[in-house]
Amino acid sequence: MIMEKTENKGIIFDIQKFTVHDGPGIRTNVFLKGCPLRCLWCSNPEGLRSKPQVGVYSNRCIGIDKCGLCLRVCPKAEEGALVIKDNRIDHINRNVCTDCLLCAEECPSQGTLKIWGREMSVPEVLEIVLADREFYEKSGGGITLSGGEVFRQSAFARELLEACKTEGINTCVESALHCDPDLLDIVYPQVDLVITDIKHMDSEIHKTLTGIGNQRILDNIKKTATMGLPLVIRVPVVAEHNNDDINLRATAEFIANNLGNQVKQVQLLPYRELGVDKYEALGMAYPMADFTPPERIVWEADIHHLVELMQEYGIPVVAGTTIKYDI
Amino acid sequence: MQNPNSTNLNEIDACGVVPINKEWGIGVSGVENPSPFSRTNQILKRWRDTKWSVDHERAVLLTQAYKKYAGLSQQLKTASAVAHILENVTIRIYPDELIVGEIGAPAKAAPIYPEFSYGWVQRELKESPFRDRPIVAHVTSEKTEKELLGISDFWLGQTVEDEAISLLTEDQIKATHLGKAVFSLQLYLHGGVGHTHLNFKEVLNLGYGGMLEKIQQKFDACDNTLPQDIKKREFYQSQLIVLKGMIEYCNRYARLAMNEAKSATGERQKELVKIAENCSHIATGTPRSLWEAAQLMQFTYNLIMIESNGHSVSYGRMDQDLYPFYKKDRENGVTKEWQQEMLESLFLKWAEMCKIRDWGTISNNGGHGMGGTTITVGGINPDGSDATNDLSYMIVDATVHTRLGEPWLAVRWHKNTPRDFKIKCANAIRVGFGRPKLFNDEVCIPSMERYGRSPEDSKNYAVVGCVEIDAPGKEYGWHDAAYFSMPKVLELALNNGRCFECESVGKDLCPRYSICAAKGQRLGLETGSLAEFSSFEEVKTAYDKQMQYMCDQMVGAINSVDIAHQRRKPLPALSLLTEGCAEKGMDVSAGGAIYNYSGPQAVGVGTVADGLSAIKQLVFDEKKVTGGEFLTALLSNWEGYEWLHALVNSEKVHHYGNDDAYADELAAFGADTYCKHIENRPTAHGGVFLPGVYSVTANVGLGLILWASPDGRKAQEPISDNCGAVHNKAGAHDVQGPTAMLKSVCKLDHVRMGNGTLLNMKYSPTSVSGEAGRDNFIDMVDSYFGMGGLHCQFNIISKETLEDAYENPAEHENLLVRVAGYSAFFNDLSKPTKLDIMDRTELSFD
Repeated sequence: MIMEKTENKGIIFDIQKFTVHDGPGIRTNVFLKGCPLRCLWCSNPEGLRSKPQVGVYSNRCIGIDKCGLCLRVCPKAEEGALVIKDNRIDHINRNVCTDCLLCAEECPSQGTLKIWGREMSVPEVLEIVLADREFYEKSGGGITLSGGEVFRQSAFARELLEACKTEGINTCVESALHCDPDLLDIVYPQVDLVITDIKHMDSEIHKTLTGIGNQRILDNIKKTATMGLPLVIRVPVVAEHNNDDINLRATAEFIANNLGNQVKQVQLLPYRELGVDKYEALGMAYPMADFTPPERIVWEADIHHLVELMQEYGIPVVAGTTIKYDI
Repeated sequence: MQNPNSTNLNEIDACGVVPINKEWGIGVSGVENPSPFSRTNQILKRWRDTKWSVDHERAVLLTQAYKKYAGLSQQLKTASAVAHILENVTIRIYPDELIVGEIGAPAKAAPIYPEFSYGWVQRELKESPFRDRPIVAHVTSEKTEKELLGISDFWLGQTVEDEAISLLTEDQIKATHLGKAVFSLQLYLHGGVGHTHLNFKEVLNLGYGGMLEKIQQKFDACDNTLPQDIKKREFYQSQLIVLKGMIEYCNRYARLAMNEAKSATGERQKELVKIAENCSHIATGTPRSLWEAAQLMQFTYNLIMIESNGHSVSYGRMDQDLYPFYKKDRENGVTKEWQQEMLESLFLKWAEMCKIRDWGTISNNGGHGMGGTTITVGGINPDGSDATNDLSYMIVDATVHTRLGEPWLAVRWHKNTPRDFKIKCANAIRVGFGRPKLFNDEVCIPSMERYGRSPEDSKNYAVVGCVEIDAPGKEYGWHDAAYFSMPKVLELALNNGRCFECESVGKDLCPRYSICAAKGQRLGLETGSLAEFSSFEEVKTAYDKQMQYMCDQMVGAINSVDIAHQRRKPLPALSLLTEGCAEKGMDVSAGGAIYNYSGPQAVGVGTVADGLSAIKQLVFDEKKVTGGEFLTALLSNWEGYEWLHALVNSEKVHHYGNDDAYADELAAFGADTYCKHIENRPTAHGGVFLPGVYSVTANVGLGLILWASPDGRKAQEPISDNCGAVHNKAGAHDVQGPTAMLKSVCKLDHVRMGNGTLLNMKYSPTSVSGEAGRDNFIDMVDSYFGMGGLHCQFNIISKETLEDAYENPAEHENLLVRVAGYSAFFNDLSKPTKLDIMDRTELSFD
C-alpha cells in the first residue's frame, strides 16, 4: 500500500537518544503525545493530553525580582494564570491558562517552565534520529516510537517510520494497542518490532486500572501476532493491583495459546514510583498517592516467583529489560 | 571450550585464567577480598593496614653523595649519587610477596627528592606538617623530620626550581602560577619529568651484564683527544657508575632473601630461596622465566624511581614484552594459575610505591600517586594483525583482582580486537573502578605518525600516564609539561587584555599585581573589548591574538625549565633505558632519545566553546544583550544579571556536547587555535611541541583562580574537564545523552592533539546492567571510535553512592573513582574535586 505524501505533523513530548531498554541495541525514543488510557501507575503524565502543556518546577525559578519575564509576556497575567509564592513561580492556574506557552518560551532558566509537546514535521524528527545512525549500525538499534499512544497519531507515525525504513533504520513501536485494528494494517508494514503490554486479563479490573476494558487490546495483540510481527510483551507488576497468580497464569495462557511463536520475550517489570514530580509540575494528582509499594526485597522476590510461574507455560519470560533477545 | 591449563599453546586461544565473560558485579570497586588468590588478598590486607608515610633516607644519602662527590661534573655527580643510594639504602622483603624491590623507601613511604625543589618540603615540615594534612596525610617520624630539616641549608638555592625561575622573564612569571596561572608549570618545577616508558626490551634481552659490556665498549672506543668524545666519555662513565650500583642493588636483595630464608619455614622458605636465586641471576644475567622477567622489570622500575620522582613512568606493552617468557614457561609446564598469582604480586608491588607532592598541588589533585604507572595491553602487531594474547586477559584480571590506585591499565582497541576481549574489558569497567581506559588504534597510530615517528614505532605505541601516546623506550616526551587555561585567554580577549578580577574586586589579592597593573601594564595584549566589537569575527580574532601571546609565554617558560633540568639533573639511569642515548652518547635530558617532544595541555575546551557560543548567539545573532551588557555581567560575576546567567546555562543557548554544530564548531575553533600556536615549535631538548587537550584535575585549580566566564560559570567554579562538556553549578550543558556527547567530541581534531585527549563519562550501574547493557556499552565504544574518538574512560558508580561517600567517608575507604586519566580513592580527593566528580552528568541508558 502506498500512501500519499502528507504534510503530517506530530505532537512530540520528548525525544530521548541512547535508550537501550525499548528494543534491541542503542535507540532513539520518540514520544508521541496523547493517550486514551489512564493507567494508575502511568509515569509519563505529560504524554496523556494531546495538546502541548507547560510544567512548573518552582525550585528552579531564579526569583521574580531578578527576572519576572514570564509575568511580562503572559496574556492572562492579570487574571492570575501564573501563581507566585515566595518570589517564585509556584504553579499555573490551569483554569485561566490557555496553554499559549509564551511564558515557557521566554523563561531563561533551564526547566523552570517546561514545555511538553512540540509540533514537529517528519523531516525535523528524522534529522534528530539520523544523527545517531553510527550507533544503530554497530548495535542493531534504531528508532522506537512510544508515547502517549503511537496510534493516536497513526498517519504521522506511519510516515516517520516509513522515512526511517527508507534510510535503513530499524523501527520499533511501543503501544498499548488500544486502537482501531485497521490502523495496524496501515502502520505495521513499516515496523520491525512491536512492544506492547498486558496490564490485566480481566476486562473489568482492566477498566478500573486503566479506564478502559481490555478486549480491543487483546484482539489487537492477536492480530499483531497473526500478521507475523515480532512481539515483546511487558507486564507491569503492581502489588495489590495485578500481581496475583491467577492473573499472571491467565496472561501466560493467553500468550501460549493465542499468539503462536511470535513472542520474542515477555518482560515482567516492577512498579516504580516514577513521574511523581511531573504530576506535580502539571498540577495533577498522582493517582497512586495512597499506595505504599513493597520493599525492594519483596517485589524482587515477587517478580522472580511470577517469572517461574509463567515459565511453566513454556513462554520466554524474563525479569526486567536487560536480557537480550533476537529479532 | 579450551582447557586453560593446556600446555600446548597452539591448542588454546587467548583467554586468561578466569572465564572471559565472568561478571564481577557492577559498581562494586570497594570489596574486601577481590582476588581468588589468598596471597593477593593477604598482601592487600597488609597494604590497607600500612599507613602512608615519608622516609628521609634517600634524601640524606643523596645529600651525602653530593658532598662527597662535590668536585665531579654534574653528570658524574648525579650518577654517583644514584649508585650511592642503590648501594646503601635500607632494603626489605615483605611477607608473602613473590616480587621484591623498593624505591629507596619502605612500602607506602614517599622518598624525598631535594635536588628538584626543597623550599616546599622545608616550609611544610615547619608550618603544616604532612601528617596533619586534611587529605593525603603522610605520617613522619621525629627522626625523619629532623633529618629532612637538617639538609635544608645544603639545598638552599641549589635546586632545579631555583635555576628554572632564574631563567624566566617577567612576562612569563606573570603568566605562570608564580603569578596567577594562565598556565601552570608546577609539576616540572617541583619535581622530575618522568612521563616516559622504559626500554624493557633492552634489559630483558641483554640483562645488566650485557648492558655493562655494551657501554664499556662505547666508553673504550672514545678518542680522549676529541672534544665531543670527551663529553661522550663522561656520559658513558656516568652510565657505568649507575650499572655497577644497580648490579649491587640486585645482589643485595639476593643476599637478604637468602638470609630471611634461613629463619623461614615450609613453602615460604622455598619461595625465599627462589627469590634469592632470581635476584642473583638477573643481577647480570637475562631472565629465564616469567618470574625472573617480572623481577627484572620491578628492579628496573625501582632504579628509575630512585633516580628521579618524575611521574607517570609507564610500563608499556607488558603483554607483548613478557609474552615470550610466558610462552616458554607454559611449554615447560608452569601453570597459568601460578603465573597469574605471581603477576598479581607484581601489581601489588607497584601499588606500594608512593610519592609526596606539595600541598598546593595535592589540594587540587589529591592522591599519593606515582602519576600514572600505566600498563598498555592489546593493540596490533607490526603487520597490522591483532596482538591480543593470553597475558592481555591475565593483566585485566590482575587489575580487577588487586583494585588499588596503581597500576593503571590502558587497552588498545581496534577494528579487529576480539569480541571476547572487549567483553572482558567491559566487565572490568563495570566493576566501577574506572579501569581499563580505552584507546583507539585507528586514531592514535596516525597521530603518532603525524608528529614524525616511524610507521613501525607508531604501530607499537603505548600510553604514558593519563592519555599520552608515546613510542615506548624511544621517546622523551615531556608529556605533562604544563596546564594551560584557555578560558583565561578568552577572558583577556573579551576585556582588552585585562583580567576581569583586577577590574572588579581582587587586585589586592593578585600576586602579580605589583609587576602588572600597578606598573600600568596588563596581563595580555590590547586587542579590544566585547563592548566595542562589532562582529563575532572580531571576538575570534582577539582570542587568536591573545592565544598566540600566551602560547609564546608558555613555550618560553617550558623551555627555560627544560634547560634547568638539563643543567642540574642529568638522568644517567633513565638514559640507559631510553633508546638513542647510548648511540648518541648523550643524556636523555639533553635530547639523547630518538624522539623528543614537550606536551603542554589545554584545559577548558567546553568552557571556551559555550562562552563563545553564548556571545555569538545572544550578542551578535539574536541581539538579546549588547556586548557591553554581557561584559558588565561578567565583571560583576553575574550579580544583577541573574536572568542572563540562567539563560546562558539553559538549553536555549547552543552548547557543546549535544551534537549541535553551532557550538561544536566553536569548540573545534577554540582548541585548534591553541594547537596552531603550540605544535611543532622547538623544545630545548631537541624536539618539538605537541598540543594536548585534557585537564586531569587542573580544571578545578584553574577554575578556582578564574573570574566569571561567559559560558555561565561563576567565579571560582571549575572550568570544563578534559574534552567534556560544561557542568556549571547552574547546570550541566550536555543534556542529549552520551551519543550526542561522543559525536561532539569527535568534531575535535584528535589526530592533531598529539599529546592526547581525554573523555570521562559517568554511568549509573543500572544503565549498563545485564548482557544487553554490556553489549550496548561495547557497541557504543565501537561507534565512538569509528567516528574518530581517541580515548574514553568510565565511572560506573551511582550518584547515590558518591553522595553517601561524600557524607560518610569512613564507610567508603576502598571506593575508587575515575578522576581523569587516573583512578583515585574517593577519600583522597579534595572537596572541590569530589564535588566536581559528583556534578559530572550522570549518563543513564534508561
